[in-house]
Amino acid sequence: MPHKPPTKEELERRKIVGIRDETITDVSCSDFPGHYPGEDHSWDIDAFRRGFSVEFHQNDRFEASFSLIGCDASIANAFRRIMIADIPTLAIENVFINNNTSVIQDEVLAHRLGLIPFQGGHEGLHKFLKWWRKPTDEAQMNNSYYDFNTVSLKLEVQCEHNDKAAAGETDPTKLYHHAHVYARDIEFCPVGRQDRYFSGADAIAPVNPDILIAKLRPGQEISLSMHMHKGVGSDHAKFSPVATASYRLMPVIDITRPILGDDAEKFARCFPRGVIELEKVTKKEAGQKGSGYEGHAGELKAVVADPMRDTVSRECLRHDEFKDKVKLGRRRDHFIYLVESTGQWESDAIFIEAVAHLKKRALDLEKQVKNMVR
Amino acid sequence: MSREQYQVPTGSGSPTIGTGSFSAPTARDYTGDVGGVMYYMCGDCAVRVPLEKGAPIRCQKCGARVLYKERTKRMVQFEAR
Repeated sequence: MPHKPPTKEELERRKIVGIRDETITDVSCSDFPGHYPGEDHSWDIDAFRRGFSVEFHQNDRFEASFSLIGCDASIANAFRRIMIADIPTLAIENVFINNNTSVIQDEVLAHRLGLIPFQGGHEGLHKFLKWWRKPTDEAQMNNSYYDFNTVSLKLEVQCEHNDKAAAGETDPTKLYHHAHVYARDIEFCPVGRQDRYFSGADAIAPVNPDILIAKLRPGQEISLSMHMHKGVGSDHAKFSPVATASYRLMPVIDITRPILGDDAEKFARCFPRGVIELEKVTKKEAGQKGSGYEGHAGELKAVVADPMRDTVSRECLRHDEFKDKVKLGRRRDHFIYLVESTGQWESDAIFIEAVAHLKKRALDLEKQVKNMVR
Repeated sequence: MSREQYQVPTGSGSPTIGTGSFSAPTARDYTGDVGGVMYYMCGDCAVRVPLEKGAPIRCQKCGARVLYKERTKRMVQFEAR
């Protein structure tokens, strides 16, 4: 018997991860050679190109959401991991404390300073600034800092009484000058060619100027300088360009038999707002035999409006009235990413950089393998 | 009259230790301090108390007997991790 090519519905069904009330089915993909007799599923760049697409849902400075459709989980996960751990950013690495009489300990203060995200001119940050490598010889330490690998900052704050404060004032921020030390008090000290890349709006500055670093009382002082270096998230989380970079699979809600009337309203309440809409059954639908709508013209029916907003809580599967009327699932090859930038990179640029990084890694590997075979 | 100043250990065991307060290079900067006077912080009223050698350990202002050492004037380096 000759092999019949799979129908469109069959191909679609193969992509769905089934979500039942107690179990998850069809977790693994099946589009690999030898799984379906008579079908060729060997990987092909043209077939991949035909099936692959990218769709942007949101693209702001601090948050981007987009879908990769038609790619494998291994690739999608590689992008996610690269975004978190391998995209370089600039962060405070060394803190030189001259004086710190505040209640916050030196090491804790240094740690807090390290976690503050900074922004600056993109050309300077991504092209001009290079890696700083700790010299193997400790004596060469002072010869390792250059304008292209170190950014210098300082923080000098002294708390004093405010003579102009009203009598009976209890708010420390009004009673004293500099009772709170904020990220905006950090001063950028450009050296060498840094003036060219980081001036005006491109200056190195904290993304969020209102981050509270420490609290002071009159007589207390913080006086320190800092060195910033480039680093990657795999070294320390402060170097990660993203607050979160995650993906989820596209939810699929399949209403197999009509859900009408009060049941439809209850069904809509089982999902987040906007996922299920209520529509009136048209006369045409009611006239159709075997559709399940016979004699229900004008009643409300539940229709799937926006499955992407679903959280797949499976609430609808707990109710007997929806039994066998709905099938839940997720599309195995549709990844909805959410990338939240800390501000040093544009949120969409992080993903593009991740793609470039993976490409570079693959080329490096190719070279290594070629050398190995030679 | 001046007290022998504290020498920062250099690690190489140099014989400069104990060669006198003015001949040895000092790592600490006590500019403005009179030789032999050390400053402490009063534990009660937080005032800066100058103490000479042999003076009773006591705050001149409030009479508290708990005095704290001042923080080092030297730079301290930390990794921001």
